[in-house]
Amino acid sequence: MSAFNLNEDQQDCLQELINVAMGQASDQLARYLDTFVDLRVPSIEQVDASSLSITLNDKTLASAIVSQGFFGYEGIRGEALLVYQSQDSLQIADLLGYEPGELSEEEQLIDISSILTTTFLNVFASQIDNQMSYSAPRLLSASQNPLVEHVENLLFHWDLALKVKITYRVTDFSFNCDMILLIPESAISNIKSVLDRILEEF
Amino acid sequence: MTLSFCEKVTNQLNSGVIVLDLDYRIVFWNNFLAIHANKQFKDVCDLSVYDVFPELPKRWFERKLNGVKQLNSPSFCSWEQRHHLFELPHTRPITTDSHYMAQNVTFTPIEDKGQLTHICILIEDVTDVCHYQTMLRKTLDDLAMANRIDGLTQVYNRKHWEECLAQEFARARRYDADLALIMFDLDHFKRINDNYGHQCGDMVLIETAKVIEELIRISDTFGRYGGEEFAVILPETGIAGALDVAEKIRQRIEDIALLFNEEPINVTTSIGVATIGDDDFRYEDLIAHADQALYEAKALGRNQVAVNKTLIACV
Repeated sequence: MSAFNLNEDQQDCLQELINVAMGQASDQLARYLDTFVDLRVPSIEQVDASSLSITLNDKTLASAIVSQGFFGYEGIRGEALLVYQSQDSLQIADLLGYEPGELSEEEQLIDISSILTTTFLNVFASQIDNQMSYSAPRLLSASQNPLVEHVENLLFHWDLALKVKITYRVTDFSFNCDMILLIPESAISNIKSVLDRILEEF
Repeated sequence: MTLSFCEKVTNQLNSGVIVLDLDYRIVFWNNFLAIHANKQFKDVCDLSVYDVFPELPKRWFERKLNGVKQLNSPSFCSWEQRHHLFELPHTRPITTDSHYMAQNVTFTPIEDKGQLTHICILIEDVTDVCHYQTMLRKTLDDLAMANRIDGLTQVYNRKHWEECLAQEFARARRYDADLALIMFDLDHFKRINDNYGHQCGDMVLIETAKVIEELIRISDTFGRYGGEEFAVILPETGIAGALDVAEKIRQRIEDIALLFNEEPINVTTSIGVATIGDDDFRYEDLIAHADQALYEAKALGRNQVAVNKTLIACV
């Protein structure tokens, strides 16, 4: 076990914060998108750089991946990857309330990704008395093995990461996607001290 | 008007800052915009952003800002999807070919005491990035092309041709489809080189590639396999169709009227044909069969088409 592992209390606390944030985010999204948005219970796990490629390997069929960096006070930072399968993204313009042809497919993906990421993380940040800034979302090139390739490029920066996976479903528009938050090693200890503070307050 | 310290700093930014109230009226813009839009702030103050920038896609813009307002979260617009939102001139009108400044635009909510009051629009000039990225993409495309093309004959090189064959082979196996392969080799090519020099040999290779490329169908893949050997992949083609194409190739090469230093050069070719069989598990098997047939054609006296032995019964 690594020193970066969350202990049981910290893990529970983070899980609870994420659950609450998911609830509020899904409520906000539902009102904005005017349809029911289902966020599935996330998985939280610590992964090391080498095994991350393996845990993400089932996503090799991903048709598009959008990446967006986030950073808050107290050294909370990471990268959100939004992973889409090809059949999941056909009605995004409709879902976002745009006319067909008003924005390109790429722009639709980037727009919805940014909305999902920032809505969730804004709520999450307010739970921990923080405030997030975001980099502009970027569509990572969709090559044959895109997610793994991208992650392999990240390996220069970290050995260990906290991985939070949340699945979004909008049944009315047959929309699905996975949001994978990766919090690098250097930020995990910052998260831990925030969690410890919250635990103390209870 | 005296400027606040923050305004003075904002005016030093090499990015545009526009602040809108919730009715999309301009309540602030910095020096960057005063210069690039060529309008002083006092002349646009309190005007609707749509009046100042009539080029804005109104419905799209409104939907975008609605998201910022409702979700209280930032929204982005990158030059890669939309080259520019605001029609502003840029600083490299001479050395780039784009008309307007390429932009990354960020929309962020501004709150006062927990209440959304304004929207801030940040405009970054990314004309340089856009220009270099476009050049890079073109260069990469050119490189990718150069990597697939044989320098002398301008047809596919062996590496790319073989990759195509591997793909077609896998597809044919998966869908149980026909696939034929033609390999041909110019007869006595060494003699041409020896008698007339390598310049003549090169000319023969170039002309051969040219006439065959005109002959084959769009779905076929033609490449230089090596030296004076060429190869054609024919998807969805059985032995009869392949023999037909092979005979046309033979005839066409026999008919080319080539002159080198005003001397006529006669060229013929020997051709091997093979089609995918149940025992072929790898694309290399198909190449081996076509190659065997090619040697058969040579052995039988050149300038002819031979079929792989295992196929003769079917013809």
